[in-house]
Amino acid sequence: MSAPELVGGSAADRERIAHELVTVTIDGRQVQVPKGTGLVEAAAAAGVEIPVFCYEPRVGAGIGACRMCLVEIEGMPKLQTGCTTPVTDGMVVHTAGTSEQAAAGQSATMEFLLLNHPLDCPVCDKGGECALQDLSFRYGSGKTRMTFRKRSLEKPIPISPTIALDRERCIMCFRCTRFSQEVAQDEELSAVNRGALSMIATFEDEPYRGPFSGNVTELCPVGALTSTQYRFKARPWEYEQAASVCGLCPVGCNVAVQSREGRVQRVLSRNHPEVDRGWLCDKGRFSYSHLYSEERILTPRRRGVRELEELGWEQALDELEGMIERAQGEVVLALSGSETLELAYALAKIVRQGAGSDRVVLPEQAADALDPFRVPISALAEAEEIVVFEECPVLDRAPLIELWLKQARRNGAHVTRIGPSGDIQRGRGEAALACQELAEKESALGKRLRAAERAILLWSGGGGAGGCHLAALAHALGLHEKEGSGALLLPASPNARGVAEAWAAAGDENRQPRQIGLLVVSGDEAASEPQVRQLAEHARATVALTLFAGDSGEWADLVLPATGYLERSGTMRNLEGRLQRLRGATGSPARRELSWLAELAGRLGVDLPGSEAALFTELSAKVLDGISLASLGDRAPLPPRVEAQTFEAARAESPPTLLGGPLELIRYRALFSGPEVEHVPELSFQRPAAEVEISPEDADRRGISGGNEVVVRSNGTRVTLRARINAALLPGMVRVAAEHCAELARGVEVSRP
Amino acid sequence: MAKAKHPILVLAGAEQGDLRALEDYRRAGGYASLEKARKLGPGATLEQIKQAAVRGRGGAGFQMGQKASFLPSPGQAKSPIYLVVNADESEPGAFKDREIINRVPHRLIEGIQIAALAIGAERCFVYIRGEYLSEYEVLSAALAEAEAAKLVSVPILVHRGAGAYICGEETALLESLEGKRGQPRSKPPFPALVGLYNSPTLINNVETIATVPKVIELGGEAYAKIGVKDSTGTRVFSLSGDVVRGGNYELPHGTSFRELIYDCGGGIAAGRKLKAIIPGGSSSPVLPADQVDLSMDFDSVQKAGSFLGSASVIVIDERACMVQLALRIGQFYMNESCGKCTPCREGTRWIEMILRKIEQGRASHAELDLLADVCDRVLGKCLCALGDSDAMAVASYVKHFRAEFEAHIEQGGCPYGDTSSLAGVRSPVDEIYRGRIGQEAAL
Ligand SMILES: Cc1cc2nc3c(=O)[nH]c(=O)nc-3n(C[C@H](O)[C@H](O)[C@H](O)COP(=O)(O)O)c2cc1C
Ligand code: SF4
Ligand code: SF4
Ligand code: SF4
Ligand code: FES
Repeated sequence: MSAPELVGGSAADRERIAHELVTVTIDGRQVQVPKGTGLVEAAAAAGVEIPVFCYEPRVGAGIGACRMCLVEIEGMPKLQTGCTTPVTDGMVVHTAGTSEQAAAGQSATMEFLLLNHPLDCPVCDKGGECALQDLSFRYGSGKTRMTFRKRSLEKPIPISPTIALDRERCIMCFRCTRFSQEVAQDEELSAVNRGALSMIATFEDEPYRGPFSGNVTELCPVGALTSTQYRFKARPWEYEQAASVCGLCPVGCNVAVQSREGRVQRVLSRNHPEVDRGWLCDKGRFSYSHLYSEERILTPRRRGVRELEELGWEQALDELEGMIERAQGEVVLALSGSETLELAYALAKIVRQGAGSDRVVLPEQAADALDPFRVPISALAEAEEIVVFEECPVLDRAPLIELWLKQARRNGAHVTRIGPSGDIQRGRGEAALACQELAEKESALGKRLRAAERAILLWSGGGGAGGCHLAALAHALGLHEKEGSGALLLPASPNARGVAEAWAAAGDENRQPRQIGLLVVSGDEAASEPQVRQLAEHARATVALTLFAGDSGEWADLVLPATGYLERSGTMRNLEGRLQRLRGATGSPARRELSWLAELAGRLGVDLPGSEAALFTELSAKVLDGISLASLGDRAPLPPRVEAQTFEAARAESPPTLLGGPLELIRYRALFSGPEVEHVPELSFQRPAAEVEISPEDADRRGISGGNEVVVRSNGTRVTLRARINAALLPGMVRVAAEHCAELARGVEVSRP
Repeated sequence: MAKAKHPILVLAGAEQGDLRALEDYRRAGGYASLEKARKLGPGATLEQIKQAAVRGRGGAGFQMGQKASFLPSPGQAKSPIYLVVNADESEPGAFKDREIINRVPHRLIEGIQIAALAIGAERCFVYIRGEYLSEYEVLSAALAEAEAAKLVSVPILVHRGAGAYICGEETALLESLEGKRGQPRSKPPFPALVGLYNSPTLINNVETIATVPKVIELGGEAYAKIGVKDSTGTRVFSLSGDVVRGGNYELPHGTSFRELIYDCGGGIAAGRKLKAIIPGGSSSPVLPADQVDLSMDFDSVQKAGSFLGSASVIVIDERACMVQLALRIGQFYMNESCGKCTPCREGTRWIEMILRKIEQGRASHAELDLLADVCDRVLGKCLCALGDSDAMAVASYVKHFRAEFEAHIEQGGCPYGDTSSLAGVRSPVDEIYRGRIGQEAAL
């Protein structure tokens, strides 16, 4: 009995082990690999393939289930599984390529796997990219000895509106269940029954609701778990693929956008090991179909007598040009933070250089205060101490971060959440105070953070003063001096930082108009902001660039069709400060913004190139230190940390007094919300329920129990919602998803109708 | 029970009646070994166990002392050390652990306390087969009494299984004990280093642990003199099948099958002839009748091509159709395969289907060869020993009784007609599988 040395040990141990090399011989080829390397990886390093089905290191250590990786190891009587064997010095291995015994083992596995496998290849979505198809072709016998009727089961079974399960095709590799149990930790998928009757199932056939469920469709090596949106749409060899980045949140997961005949057919992960490790959230994976929603506007529209009426681009640009002229320099630009740097820069140039105004409404305050504490997201997995100032749930803001936090906890990190429903309960607006407390010498948690070799701070919420509060704390804790330690702010919008930079690059004057002659609203998110809507009421004219006319259609004088993030090319800066490239999928039913903006710029006498690359070069010279687009590559590097200056702790503002009612309303943007998700029918089951979360104390006092219908009111607004008791919520707070808030003010009262 | 010219150790004192009450067990000298072990201390106690060379009674026959020495010493271990007692006894033919728990529960508890002391365990677990409800109650009552008498210094938790044979496999047992789906883990790492909750864990069978008090009482060296070389001590043999007096018989290793079957068990009724012996539970390959004088010890049985396993001896007389018997066994393993690894999940079902076809007289000679080949393709490729057990057992019936298989093929049905002793005997497996797979096949 020998123990693998990989179990446990400190990071330092792991590092020492990693530097120790061992020599192994695989099919006669010698390689040196770090001690503890798995046999499958060591073989790959020697240029030998050990085929696998169940092995997927991202869902945990090998489990030896499928038996495809059987090899002969000298000195061991029985065949061993490569996926569960760490190599040791002097090990001599024979794979199926050189060992008859191993080849017999592998061929037995192949035969058993195909025994009951249906002959579905011609109609199976996985065809062409199926591990079973590929390995059967190479290692299978081509003939079957199975003379009995194959096992037949009901299929496909929807395990959620987005995922279908074909149990006949399942090879019981347990990748999906291990993902559910170990990675997403939602425990929603599991195997039921025994032996040949084993199958994958959800509990009592409830839909798989975990927000990361879609990853199982990519993990499944066969066509057992497939996407319902993608079913029967295309074949893998028919695609054009764009190596892009998801634009729905500030994580910026790397994605492959696959399209056929000018339509996006699916979005897959493209594994950036420092950002997403090959996972996507379901919003990022399944939202693409919003592009083809019937409600999307594809032509410019102008406010007519009764409703919006369509007009041609030539006319629309005439109109817009006229609006800008009439505004006489009193122009305000409202950005969403979902624009690329290039698009924001083009808009900024039109407004600053063409319209002669320097007033902008940015989605949120973004600054470079945290650049001295920059760490890759993946550093979370190695951290010992993590503190999250979590006024808004991390899952709603930057879903992938939540997966990394789970991984961190699995690796033994302490994760402390501070917020209205955190481990340490603090009210809204108190995060800055909490930062100051942690910075003090006597704070117990602060001491732990100082003592930790790797500590990371996260800020998920508003009022961060662009990261200044967090930066002051990080500085006090000395995190800039420790590798693997750092601090990250999770903004509410995907490219908050980038659009601010783009705005700054477009001019250096500061002409602030006193009135609003023209309000230019970019993006559906900005159009749905109550604050922007108020500006629109005061504006003499408004133009909106949106995908849908739901919000903008109510007040805009001119609505111009926008393109979606999957159609755009350009760059975005994610929450780490990593500049990443989007590459638009082929074709868009709407005209590209940069094309008509360049035309408009021409009319206004502004020099605006029409290509993203040229815009980037301009931007780069002004605000990006002259870096080249090529240097970003397919998987963008993280810019180096900047030198830390001394920090004046920003003053923590005291929470504002509440108007309208005694309970403080936390209005949050739920993960499954926003213009894209709202137009994807398959995701409607994930949309936030019309409910108000309330603490048990506040509920008791008002005679409310869970599930009751209640009225939430303030300043004349009344909303009827269902009550949900949240025992973790701090008394005095209630939470409602933004889409159910209507015009509620910050202070509310909740009562039974 | 046969007259005790042999030493009775595990079941000692229970010849006249059960020793369930603490008082009775004490009167028979109970818990003196625990006191002795406490005086000896952990090191010397473990040394006695090693000297006794007690081989595991659960099936694999690994030496207990040697397995215990793979554990880190309590000072070195980064996490607590656990002792787990395997009382899942679900192998067809095995019912000795049940007897031990029913009749001498305190000997098991005493053994647990001594073993826990020897390895420095912080906690002990007994994983008991779910269907053993009354045994669970007997053991719980004894434990309560022992606790009240302050005899239990290392806490013991008794956990009931939920009816899966695979949970007797040590790593599946650990998964189940942790609250997970009962499926074996890949080894290495072995439980001695990464066991329950990733902590070092010693797992032993009920009988193995119940042997420990006598080892301490007699001393390791004296114990090792009982039985034969490399199979020391006595064994509780579960005798069943076509025999007059089935039951548990404690005999030293090295006793012959003939003594067990004929002297203890009273032979086969109505003077019928012995046809075959299953020496160590359904998982062990069948032995033909001419092996009846074989010595019942680990190595002799292994040399004869089978295993002593759990020492569950099943007697088969001339009335049995060996194809039906093989099918019955094939069904059991198909039904109990946990489904984790491919060769067992798919292979056990395929084997069963071919066997069924042969038994029904619908198969060809080529399919008999296919059956042997499928067994061969399962053997040695699986994650745990369950798949191997099926393949080895079924292959042994084909090997020793090939003529009967061929007769089924040639005569288009069972040569025994409905006179086989197995005809019409139904089991829970039939209810489950005739239902589901039968329907499927009929589609
Ligand atoms: C499928 C399978 C079922 C088993 N069932 C049991 C069982 O019910 N009881 C038991 O003690 N050992 C059983 N074993 C053996 C255990 O894995 C393990 O070897 C044993 O508990 C170790 O104890 P021992 O060394 O005292 O024999 C089984 C093994 C396999 C592969
Ligand atoms: S559904 Fe797919 S991933 Fe899940 S066990 Fe089956 S084959 Fe594996
Ligand atoms: S986590 Fe963010 S970036 Fe990643 S897929 Fe989801 S929405 Fe897109
Ligand atoms: S051999 Fe059978 S019981 Fe053992 S792990 Fe494989 S499927 Fe499960
Ligand atoms: S890849 Fe090793 S057993 Fe599946």
